[in-house]
Amino acid sequence: MGSQTTPDMSRVPEHVPADLVRTIGLTMGPEFLAAPHAFMADLHRTQPPIFFNPAEAEQAKDAWMLTKYEDCYYVLRHPEIFSTRGATPFPRDPDNPFKFIPLEIDPPYHRRYRNILAPRFSPQGVGALEGYIRDLANTLIDDFVDKGECEFTTEFGRPLPVSVFLDLMGLPQDMRDEFVSWAVGLLHSQDRSVAEESMMNIVTYLQQVIREKSENPDDKVISTIIQAKPDGQPMTGQEIFGFVLFLFIGGLDTVFATLNNVFLWLAQNPERRREIIDSPENISNIVEELLRTNAVTFSGRTVEQDCELRGVKMKKNDKVTCILPAANFDADIFENPLEVNFHRPRKPILSFAGGVHSCMGAHLARLEMKVCITEFLRRIPDFQVREGARIEYWPGGVIGPKLLPLTW
Amino acid sequence: MTSVTYVEFNGTAHTVDVPEGTSVMQGAIDNNIEGIVAECGGGMACATCHCYVDDAWMDKVGPATEPEHDMLEFSASETRSTSRLSCQIIVSDKLEGLVVHLPEAQF
Repeated sequence: MGSQTTPDMSRVPEHVPADLVRTIGLTMGPEFLAAPHAFMADLHRTQPPIFFNPAEAEQAKDAWMLTKYEDCYYVLRHPEIFSTRGATPFPRDPDNPFKFIPLEIDPPYHRRYRNILAPRFSPQGVGALEGYIRDLANTLIDDFVDKGECEFTTEFGRPLPVSVFLDLMGLPQDMRDEFVSWAVGLLHSQDRSVAEESMMNIVTYLQQVIREKSENPDDKVISTIIQAKPDGQPMTGQEIFGFVLFLFIGGLDTVFATLNNVFLWLAQNPERRREIIDSPENISNIVEELLRTNAVTFSGRTVEQDCELRGVKMKKNDKVTCILPAANFDADIFENPLEVNFHRPRKPILSFAGGVHSCMGAHLARLEMKVCITEFLRRIPDFQVREGARIEYWPGGVIGPKLLPLTW
Repeated sequence: MTSVTYVEFNGTAHTVDVPEGTSVMQGAIDNNIEGIVAECGGGMACATCHCYVDDAWMDKVGPATEPEHDMLEFSASETRSTSRLSCQIIVSDKLEGLVVHLPEAQF
């Protein structure tokens, strides 16, 4: 499973020009894992803007890969050409399939599901959580501030978004450690049986919760989903499950990975930490720029009608992967893209994708980042990566370091 | 089809046909008109499809709803009484000839 292996041309469809076929080891090759964001930024130099990547790992699919911001945005904005059908690489029981809602529902129907939660995830809606998140961040910091060291991913990056998620859903905080272990098992295990077991545990637990909330509703997200009637009808059990599970997947690992990426950068950039502390009025731009350079995931789509993009012909049923982190480093859009510039003219970043399936949790993620950066720097303004520590990245579809030992 | 004119901040006007039932935002995106971003794809979650409805059309289009106002607070450009989120203006033959002005910035 290394990078730069000879592509298996036998899996390449006829309509794909041979000179566009590339293997690059995205998400698992040694070059990628050494420095994933630098690797992805460099794709603008090392690969054509659109190339065809025969699958390089067991669960991956042969897919067109896009690195240009303009092309990714085009794909994301045209769901009638590029749908989410079959585009999410996730194991599911074929005898009892469920759809990830709203991701795997096409417009216009998906809007009915999004509308159920839209008010809660609006800037005002998530604003109501700011105090809770601030207290939570400080409580986590209390536990290690005097030790002069911490393992950031387990002591802060993992518990914070999980606690926020539990609170939003109306789940008990004492489930946090359990949820953490299920999330890790499901999303980061190299062992298929561990992933399957974690999935079973999540399924069992969520089904029990859905039963409980049906009998004893509260005003949190799971109850809201259960009681919703998109189209005048309550959702089926599978739909409710697909919605809640998707929120679980969407909101946990991504924020975790983003926090870890950002705090690694903060640990390595003392002057920039000072700059952030000294410009509280600019925090919103600071967060946005750090989200740009630390995007953690990709958007997959399936072609629904033959089309042409940047002169490349794509056929129905082709798969397409928008390499969102690479698009965020597109020099056509972001001048000096590798520079972390807190005064950059604002443009939409693709970290949360965009278009009709744009991340519903974007405002919440921004708020979590703003609070975590502000509070951590307020309490521990100076810190570094523990001397001698080597940073290793998770292989797979959410990009971030496995461990981040910090000292101060 | 309904004719809609989008006037960029620099004064350049684009007149295009937009199918009935489509939003003014979608008409801009489908015709590659600069000045509407629509980051969230029409979910009233981003305020980057902001437009100023031409004075002559305000009666027919109507003012922003309260949820729109909540989002317009986050707009990068000044809001006016004619401000709307263009994803919430649905085109019909009643709006034949609609003119909207685009703000200086969506971001």
